[in-house]
Amino acid sequence: MPLHSSQHARLAAVAALATAAALTLAGCSAGESGSDFESSTPTSLEGTVSFWHFFSDREAGVIQSVVDDFEAANPGVTVTVHEGQDDEKLRKAIATGDKVDLGLSYSTDVVGNFCSTGAFRDLGEVITRDKVDLEQFSDTVRSYTEFDGVRCTMPVLADVYGLYYNKDLLEAGGYTAPPTTLSELQDMAIKLTTFNDDGSIKTLGFNPMMGWYENSAAHLGPLGAAEWLNADGTSAIAGSPGWTELMEWQKGFIDELGYDKVNAFTAGLGQEFSADNAFQRGSVAMNLDGEYRTAFIADQAPELNYGTAPMPVIDSDPELYGGGYITGNIAGISKGSKNPELAWALLKYLTTDTDAVVKLSNGLKNAPTTADALASPDLEVSEQFQTFLDIMGDPHSATTPPSPLGAGYQQTFEDFWHSYQSGAVDDLPAGLAEVDTQINDSLSLVSGP
Amino acid sequence: MSSTTTTAGQPVPAGRPAAPRPPQPPAPAGRLRASRSRRRRTLTVLALLAPALLGLAIFFVYPLLASVYYSFTRYDLVSPPEWIGLRNYEYLFTQDPKVWIATLNTLWFVVFLVPIKIIFALGIAGLLVRAKHASGVWRTVFYLPALVPPVASVVAFVFLFNPGTGPVNQILGFFGIQGPLWFNDPAWSKPSLVILGIWVMGDIMIIFLAALLDVPREQYEAASLDGANGLQQLRYVTFPSITPVLMFAVITGVIAALQYFTEAAVASGVANGKAVVGEGTGAALGYPGNSLLTYTQWLYVRGFSNYQLGYASALAVLLFVVASIFLILLLRRFKAFTPEGTA
Amino acid sequence: MIRRTLYWIGENAILLALAVMFVSPIVFVALTSLMSSNQTLTAALWPQPFEWSNYATVFTQAPLLRWFANSATYAVLATVFMLLSSVPAAYVLAKIKFRFANVIFTAIIIAMLLPPQVTAIPIYVMWSNLGLTGTLWPLILPNLLGDAFSIFLLRQFFLTIPSEYADAARIDGNGEFGVLTRVMVPMAKPGIAATGIFMFFHSWNDYFGPLLYTSENADAWPVAYGLASFRGIHGTDWGLTMAMTILVTVPVVLIFFFAQRVFVEGITLTGVKG
Repeated sequence: MPLHSSQHARLAAVAALATAAALTLAGCSAGESGSDFESSTPTSLEGTVSFWHFFSDREAGVIQSVVDDFEAANPGVTVTVHEGQDDEKLRKAIATGDKVDLGLSYSTDVVGNFCSTGAFRDLGEVITRDKVDLEQFSDTVRSYTEFDGVRCTMPVLADVYGLYYNKDLLEAGGYTAPPTTLSELQDMAIKLTTFNDDGSIKTLGFNPMMGWYENSAAHLGPLGAAEWLNADGTSAIAGSPGWTELMEWQKGFIDELGYDKVNAFTAGLGQEFSADNAFQRGSVAMNLDGEYRTAFIADQAPELNYGTAPMPVIDSDPELYGGGYITGNIAGISKGSKNPELAWALLKYLTTDTDAVVKLSNGLKNAPTTADALASPDLEVSEQFQTFLDIMGDPHSATTPPSPLGAGYQQTFEDFWHSYQSGAVDDLPAGLAEVDTQINDSLSLVSGP
Repeated sequence: MSSTTTTAGQPVPAGRPAAPRPPQPPAPAGRLRASRSRRRRTLTVLALLAPALLGLAIFFVYPLLASVYYSFTRYDLVSPPEWIGLRNYEYLFTQDPKVWIATLNTLWFVVFLVPIKIIFALGIAGLLVRAKHASGVWRTVFYLPALVPPVASVVAFVFLFNPGTGPVNQILGFFGIQGPLWFNDPAWSKPSLVILGIWVMGDIMIIFLAALLDVPREQYEAASLDGANGLQQLRYVTFPSITPVLMFAVITGVIAALQYFTEAAVASGVANGKAVVGEGTGAALGYPGNSLLTYTQWLYVRGFSNYQLGYASALAVLLFVVASIFLILLLRRFKAFTPEGTA
Repeated sequence: MIRRTLYWIGENAILLALAVMFVSPIVFVALTSLMSSNQTLTAALWPQPFEWSNYATVFTQAPLLRWFANSATYAVLATVFMLLSSVPAAYVLAKIKFRFANVIFTAIIIAMLLPPQVTAIPIYVMWSNLGLTGTLWPLILPNLLGDAFSIFLLRQFFLTIPSEYADAARIDGNGEFGVLTRVMVPMAKPGIAATGIFMFFHSWNDYFGPLLYTSENADAWPVAYGLASFRGIHGTDWGLTMAMTILVTVPVVLIFFFAQRVFVEGITLTGVKG
């Protein structure tokens, strides 16, 4: 039964109405706008503040214990903790409402993006108001917690990367000291490698596979004094000879063992943060890892006889030995926070209160970031952990610069490195130039005119 | 369906025309009454359709238009969208380092996954048609994998094909074959997902089976009497009767391949083996070596890992255009998707 | 005769070999789900000893009960909402002729066939403005406004019901609503059941939706999404992962066996009659 034109009109009206409703729904201003900081430090604090961080399991317990201390010191304040929140989730939650007051990320990579987009708010105003002394942080730490003059995050401990070695396995191979150059590392690793009857790898001296566990471009860069970005934020990769030397070394290493063999071996290894960690199980004799591994070993493999040292460096510049990659956990207050004062109080406590920083450091076995905490007699420093404090103070240590692309520029480069190590790249300089172009194009898409 | 009941409570045998109720001439009730009842009927129709119409407007028409708008902006969901003209499209067509890889990967799945899955489904259905004994057991065995939730089947396959410790390579090794790296090798990751696709072919296999069982036996007997051999019977009897089903399988398969996401994303995440402690899902997508990065995943990465919603919208608009072309080409050959199509 | 016997043996041998290949993944997964963490990293294929405790441990390693409850909520509500909104629409499109029917039907077909990623961004922005991201509601609520695939499927089922039944009911004085609820719905029960089961399975298996909307809130995860994230986040070993894989699959298989007939009929009707 066909409808008459008046009924057409009605149908059309309904459709129009529906569209209008949809447009209204979508038309609301994007994101919530949060509350502002007070002009003077509040005398008493009350309310609930939500704290998002990426830790899980044992490490989340350490964070919780410090949060408990904060709550005990501020009886009116309740902290709701959301653990296991990676950067992607954190960013989603901040962009879509007021769920997050204080957010903690595992790496400094988000700083450039979160500061420049305003996802984390500028802390300058309250830092001045509450006279927080930024001199208590080292230059490197200060540099990676701000972007373009905007300080939107505070450092919550630092991560420092070095070499772990299994003393028993090295000794069995006739070695008494860890390697200091990359070619030494390769020689020792090849000698320490054992094979199964069918020719597959049984244990490795050192796993050179890029992308495995903590093997990343960022963590290797300082070993060749390699540069990431120019002062204007564009890519400096192709023009930095350190990268070429690092890449050629890594590829030569893989090729000596056989890419397929290493790949098959790697696929059969246990998860990095589980008790099946390959270094803890003795499947690799030496490994690139962060200072926090000391806590995992104490927890999951207390019997392991191991030492730590700075990572070996490129052969062409042995002077670099002693340095390493530094990054850190950083925390900031979200744009949409309805309780910025509570969040700031908690952030201040986590990052500047000596007792809190020492307790976090002792629990997580991360490097403390304040001068007072580093000097504190309560800081527990094992022989293995001391190595990392030394690396942190070394002038050759470096970090990855903040960028509006976040970690995007590193991913672009690592993608290229992955195809290079698999043998898919014939012309390395041309490939690196292409990486530069890709990063610069991406940068101009995100922040260009 | 044995019988069903009308309003009056009398059972009506199903599958037969309605109870003999003589068609009554329209009551000569005057124009006014007719138009009132028509209006009432229109209102009911509208009421019954209203939710769906509203749904089409909110979840289909509006997002399509909004995507076009966003595709001309820079939008990170923190600040309002900023108009940047054709910049996103310029980047898409001339600079994006991965969009072409992602497009080719997606097309790879369209070209290989869809036909291979269909061939296996058809072959197994062909075998099952002839199985006289315990046909129910056979059917269940081949259908069951299709029931396993995709995430679960992918997680299971990545484990089974793990080159280091998985059973598949162990068994191959037992026969003296050095197995490949499967999900850990860019050259083998897509074929590995095709093997998974074959394993879960049960849903289309069941459809083929039903279609094959529907072919009247007499047609084969007649063809046989006419002297047609097995191949000719296949060509002239079997094939024509399952063509609609085949078309259906091709169309739904192509559509599924164009939006291929879950299997590839989960395979990358699990095979990568790296703990996603701090970065998030986006960092692992495409592993190994971007070989599993499909177009829809790239859209997800740009939109929801990198928070470039404007650029991701440009990707969405392009996907819409390409998918529409595919659909128009395919749908013109398939009746059920047209309004006139009947069951 | 001999040739036929050989044929028969050949065909059954192929079937048997294929069947072994199709079943063995499930067997290996089940066996691995009973292995200790150490054993899963070795060449062993047979558990030694049997770690039955894996099935208890997964519940402590992750909030599995919660995830199952989330999946059930998502799947049940989505299915019920979908039926409430889509059955009437499908009926109108199948049995009542009006001028805009073709336009609406075509729109539904396109909406059904387009990749969901095409429209994901504006819809995501919409839900985030409503403050509902981080929950399953963005995946459940839209079903109140019809689901394109379900409408299409239900329409196909309604088309198979002879119009004479509806006409008879109209003559008995029923309005369209009465025709729908008293005549068409009871007659289309198998079709409605099949469409409902499809929706239930679709929601239970959904990965993209929960990834987009619930990833930041582990309390809202459905179990399929939880399984995909489980190994990465907790560094879980293969034994536990396989145990969870089995647990995620069991409810779907149970439902299938209880509703097998309806389900297979539904699938076949979709394809054969489609």
